[in-house]
Amino acid sequence: MSAAAAIGKVVGPGDKVLEIPAQGTLRLSAGLTTQEGAVVSTKGGVLKATRTGQLYLEGRQKRYIPVEGDVVVGTIVDKHVENFTVDIGGPFNAVLPQLSFEGATRRNRPNLHQGDLVYARVVQAHRDTDPVLSCVDAAGRAAGFGHLKGGMVLTVSSSLARQLLGSPTAPVLEALGSGLQFEMAAGLNGRVWLSASTAATCVLVANAIAESEFKTPQQVRTMVARVLSRIG
Amino acid sequence: MEYVSPEGLRVDGRRPRELRRINCQLDVLSSADGSAIFEMGNTKVLAAVFGPHAVTKRSDLKEDAAVVVCEYSMAAFSTGERRRRGKGDRRSTELSMVIRNTLEQAILTELMPRSQIDVYVQVLQADGGTRCAAINAAVLALSAAGVPLRDLVASVAAGHLDGTPLLDLNFAEDSGGGPDLAVALAPRLGQLVLVQMDSRLPVDTFQAVLDLARDGCRTISGVMREALLEHTKRLAVARGMVTTSS
Repeated sequence: MSAAAAIGKVVGPGDKVLEIPAQGTLRLSAGLTTQEGAVVSTKGGVLKATRTGQLYLEGRQKRYIPVEGDVVVGTIVDKHVENFTVDIGGPFNAVLPQLSFEGATRRNRPNLHQGDLVYARVVQAHRDTDPVLSCVDAAGRAAGFGHLKGGMVLTVSSSLARQLLGSPTAPVLEALGSGLQFEMAAGLNGRVWLSASTAATCVLVANAIAESEFKTPQQVRTMVARVLSRIG
Repeated sequence: MEYVSPEGLRVDGRRPRELRRINCQLDVLSSADGSAIFEMGNTKVLAAVFGPHAVTKRSDLKEDAAVVVCEYSMAAFSTGERRRRGKGDRRSTELSMVIRNTLEQAILTELMPRSQIDVYVQVLQADGGTRCAAINAAVLALSAAGVPLRDLVASVAAGHLDGTPLLDLNFAEDSGGGPDLAVALAPRLGQLVLVQMDSRLPVDTFQAVLDLARDGCRTISGVMREALLEHTKRLAVARGMVTTSS
């Protein structure tokens, strides 16, 4: 079975996903490993491929395992001389250097304290070291990263977070956006930051997002329409 | 007492090679990273998994692999007579160690160095085969938590009474004085992970009972896999990733 034919297959732990082809390259990512000439899954999930052709297994987890390149919402736990310690909901706390902010220099450090929320990307996620974050993109610009002021944080599973960040836009966000105004920063670590003009709107959006996980797009649209009609 | 009638029926009406009814529920606890309830007949076990997270005791830290911590306990209401058991009682400690050793073989611990995975198993209803149901529940909970596993390890207890090998003993058969062979198998790898027996059994009969237990494990692993795929498909179908017909 070729890699293309196996996409969309639902597998469990220890299942053989496909045979390693005699020619060509196969790039494997999260959830897949090789055993005796075959690609084997290590957890339950759906086999998918990224745009660049990497095969990975998408499952539904609550605990986040950092992967390089992911965007995450973290809470600052500690402030040291050179960096912050950030809780990203993974096995270990991450390190965010104080200079990884736009316009930060040794004299002009970011004014963040314990308990503040940051939107960052994972720069380094090796299994033997603590993950390293950055609040600037590769070019050095803020690009939406940095301190998240106010708002609330909603905890969701990894698959719902991926859906909120994916394209096409998640049906729940489209439906909510047509009737309400709110700001959202979703992290692949299952934390979603929401901010709106009133607390009621914030809570409404949070509940709608949480409820939309196991619903089909049509059910989501019906649910949001019902909620929006009730608030007038 | 007669454990196998002349017609070949056991005390609960099963055939000697028949398993009890199995029921699996996944993600039953919202606070745990992964949880499952596994029922084998009247035996019902709840498992909760937390992790991987940083190790709580620095002395336990392993530089190249994850540490698996397991705690087995029986609820006071799990047996016929309500009996309050302490955490440190010998049977619980022994079973915690047995379950921990089995799970450590199933988890790909090398992928998560310097971290710890907590597995809590509680018996809600005990009717024989609690350690096997505990292992099955723990493996399902680990799968629900997304912890990488080598294989879907399944476990069952087999015995030998009235000259017949019996599969999946219940409490009455377990107390019958015959051997109780608890086996855990990694079906895809074909490897035995746990073999534990009490009482005595002649070597020629042992092979027959062991083979029966292995068959039972393979069947149970298939049932667990079905439950896990059903659970995973539910999410994928809602997202439109997988069609219901496939």
